[in-house]
Amino acid sequence: MQIFVNSKFDFVRWRFMAVGFSVLFMLGGLAMYFNHGINWGIDFAGGATVTLKFRDAVPMDRLRADLADASIQQYGKADERAVIIRLPKLKTEADYAGQTVAKLNKDLNPDSATKLDLNFQGRDGLTELLYSLDPDAKGTLPTSKDYYRNVAQNVINKRSEVGIFTAISQATSAPGVTTAVARILNEKCFLGAFNLLNQETVGPQVGAELQQKAIWAVVLSTLAMGAYLWLRFDLMFGASAIVCIVHDVLMSLAFLMMINGEFSLNIVAALLLIVGFSINDTVVMYDRVRENRRKLKTRMTLEEQLNLAMNQTLSRTILTSGSVVVVLVALILFGGKVIHEFAWILLIGVLAGTYSTVTIVPAVAIAWNNLTGRTHDLSGPATRSRVEARVETVPPPPQQRKRRVG
Amino acid sequence: MTRGLLWKVILILVVLVGFAAATIPTQDNPEPIRRGLDLKGGTHLVMRVNVGDAVRLETDQASEMLKAQAKKTNLPIPTTRRVNDTTFVATLPADTPATPYETIGKDFLPSFDTGRTPEGLMQFKMKTASQTAIERDTVAHTVETIDNRVNALGVTEPYIAPESGYRIVIQLPGVDDPARVKDIIKTTAQLQFRLVEGNPGSDAAAALASVPDNMKTEVDILPGTKEDALGRAAGIEFYAVRKTVPVTGTDLKNARVQKGQLGQPNVGFSLTPDGARKFGDLTGANVHRRLAIVLDNKVVSAPVINSQITDSGVIEGSFSAQQAADLSLVLRSGSLPASLTTLEERTVGPSLGRDSIRQGILASIIGFIALVLSVLLYYKGAGINAVLALLLNLVILLGMMAIFHATLTLPGIAGIILTLGMAIDSNVLVFERIREELRDGKTVRAAIENGFSRAFGTIIDTHMTTIISALFLFQFGTGPIKGFAVTLLIGLFASVFTAFFVSRVIFDVMYKAQDRPTEISI
Repeated sequence: MQIFVNSKFDFVRWRFMAVGFSVLFMLGGLAMYFNHGINWGIDFAGGATVTLKFRDAVPMDRLRADLADASIQQYGKADERAVIIRLPKLKTEADYAGQTVAKLNKDLNPDSATKLDLNFQGRDGLTELLYSLDPDAKGTLPTSKDYYRNVAQNVINKRSEVGIFTAISQATSAPGVTTAVARILNEKCFLGAFNLLNQETVGPQVGAELQQKAIWAVVLSTLAMGAYLWLRFDLMFGASAIVCIVHDVLMSLAFLMMINGEFSLNIVAALLLIVGFSINDTVVMYDRVRENRRKLKTRMTLEEQLNLAMNQTLSRTILTSGSVVVVLVALILFGGKVIHEFAWILLIGVLAGTYSTVTIVPAVAIAWNNLTGRTHDLSGPATRSRVEARVETVPPPPQQRKRRVG
Repeated sequence: MTRGLLWKVILILVVLVGFAAATIPTQDNPEPIRRGLDLKGGTHLVMRVNVGDAVRLETDQASEMLKAQAKKTNLPIPTTRRVNDTTFVATLPADTPATPYETIGKDFLPSFDTGRTPEGLMQFKMKTASQTAIERDTVAHTVETIDNRVNALGVTEPYIAPESGYRIVIQLPGVDDPARVKDIIKTTAQLQFRLVEGNPGSDAAAALASVPDNMKTEVDILPGTKEDALGRAAGIEFYAVRKTVPVTGTDLKNARVQKGQLGQPNVGFSLTPDGARKFGDLTGANVHRRLAIVLDNKVVSAPVINSQITDSGVIEGSFSAQQAADLSLVLRSGSLPASLTTLEERTVGPSLGRDSIRQGILASIIGFIALVLSVLLYYKGAGINAVLALLLNLVILLGMMAIFHATLTLPGIAGIILTLGMAIDSNVLVFERIREELRDGKTVRAAIENGFSRAFGTIIDTHMTTIISALFLFQFGTGPIKGFAVTLLIGLFASVFTAFFVSRVIFDVMYKAQDRPTEISI
């Protein structure tokens, strides 16, 4: 199967329209920025989140009453009975997420003062309880502790499997739980209202530092990329590559603004990846321009050179971007909540990268060429002798080489 | 097949088998590719060591030393006041020459500079080098203590390391009870045995009122838990305890959980020989008085001394089994030289990690299959070549991660699948080039030859740009992002190898055998 064989699209002609579209898209993002600002995640703003899964229906009113200044939202599907609690921006360094969980524990699990919460406690708490009561009469040797640790681990594994215990019988059905242990689980333990899926606290200091680090990382990697392309090609290519990267990053950011997505560490990772990945199309296209400049003997403007190279590499561009897009769509559809936004931003970045290679990059290159007195046009016969010398040094076809049969 | 080609095939097979073997779990290494905290569940903590605590303590001790030496040499005892963490001033009684005190400063307080305040008081300021040394030691000691505690908890493969800015990064994979672990890490665990003056009171004023007048300036008022007749917690009460601390946690040799008469858990301890002597002196001289057991400035219990005790004792309190176990653990591992402040915490519960890994792997498999199908559809015979290269790429990537102990994180899974996209790109560049050469009328062999050599520069360039951004990602990242960057870097190197070497060898095997291949499926 082949697509775009000997295509002759006049990409260069569309460049103004494309610039217009990009500017409009970015303005849209900017408007959304003025509308609701950047939705900084806690990585950068500082703050705390707690994600809890509930045994029964989420006691939303209780939560709202307990945590007046927090925002509480459903996490995942309704039947998963999970919520994400976002605590407002922090002013001082403290363990806010932990304190919130402790508070909810006190309010929603009154039994926790006297009994062990099988939905909240970890393996070690249960181990200590079993070890101190010693239902299976294993004595006080260290091997006894190992025995009970193993039992406790099985119970906790069982909990991970089912998500949250809804009946003690689920816990007592874990492998290794003897009748005596089961009796202790029934008598000394209870099933708390929730278990902890995730808890994060980022103090204001760390948040501010991460913000700075993120900006530097994106800016420096963009400059490094421009410098590399300047070395490998020339100043015009380096400069238009930088414009192309900035364009791709801004398009992704504009999209993030439009969906009001949370600006998190993962998003910065996606942006850095876009910086490195979306430039590939441009590199491939420039490589082709350079190669053609060596080979071609005709008089050719920069516009024609760019069009030729873009058409020659079009099929590769579509195929590569296409395969990455396929993968990203799979991540978006099946990858789960945690990488959802990450995958979306990458997708937009990759699409923007492909599109900017055939629109924005030529626009910048042509403008640069016009400003510098069209130094990048090929003047034709004047370069002929040099090009011919190069053609003669092409290695002889392989079939003429000596062949050894092994 | 030529001999050169045969060797190349053997090399590829060796690489394949080698890396594949590295990823197979064994008895000693049940998890060759380590899962990050986001996939396994666990806690990532960044704590700041409040080194000021240790510096302040040193300054306080220095002012005590000044007074003690003055007393020893029969000089009038100055009053001292700490101005900030590193400086204290001494006020001398009127008409006392300062020279002998300056001599004491020189002889006994070598880490302090002696000077004068504008008001003419003696000022002792800690030397910057000494301060730096104390701060450095404090951080090192804190790391060591946390390390002891985490090991005692039995966390597998913890990561504990100091960072700039007096910070400590702590990663505890698999920990399913973050609150408890944080408590254990953060407990300063400064244990003190101090004599009680007067009687416990329901508030600070009542406790102080029961102290004889001449002792009022010699005591601290500390809160403690009130116990009912059965030893259960019942509210708070206050104790007046002497400021002097004859025996501390550093005198302990060991601590362990014991059972009391009613089967309630408590903590038994034994003392070092030196500590036993001090404890014997203290208890022998104060029989029938109360001795407060103070942990982090809270009175845990204040039993009456019935007889002289030397080498061991029991801390009773209303402990649960776990609290008793935790207390004995922190006492065994020693106290922290300074308090800790949590700057950052990320905890992933085990069930969320389970969900994430399932979804991540499902998405990757679907993405991979889609990738394979589209390549096969588009390039037919050569597509098989690309898919083989892709599979080898995956094996190398996973094998390298196992060998370098890289951590697989959720973004890392995305990194793997993106790397495979990059690897496909290299093949696409070569194949498109081969097709072009064929269209220009080249023979199959020449087309393959030119396809690879012409695409070489381009592929190096595209990989270089991505390597640059992966390096910045590594530099920027914390935890999961770093894992992602490492995965990406390894994948990029694997991709260059498979695109140029493996893919080429496969073509050679397919077409070199024929004398003059006239057809190529691409």
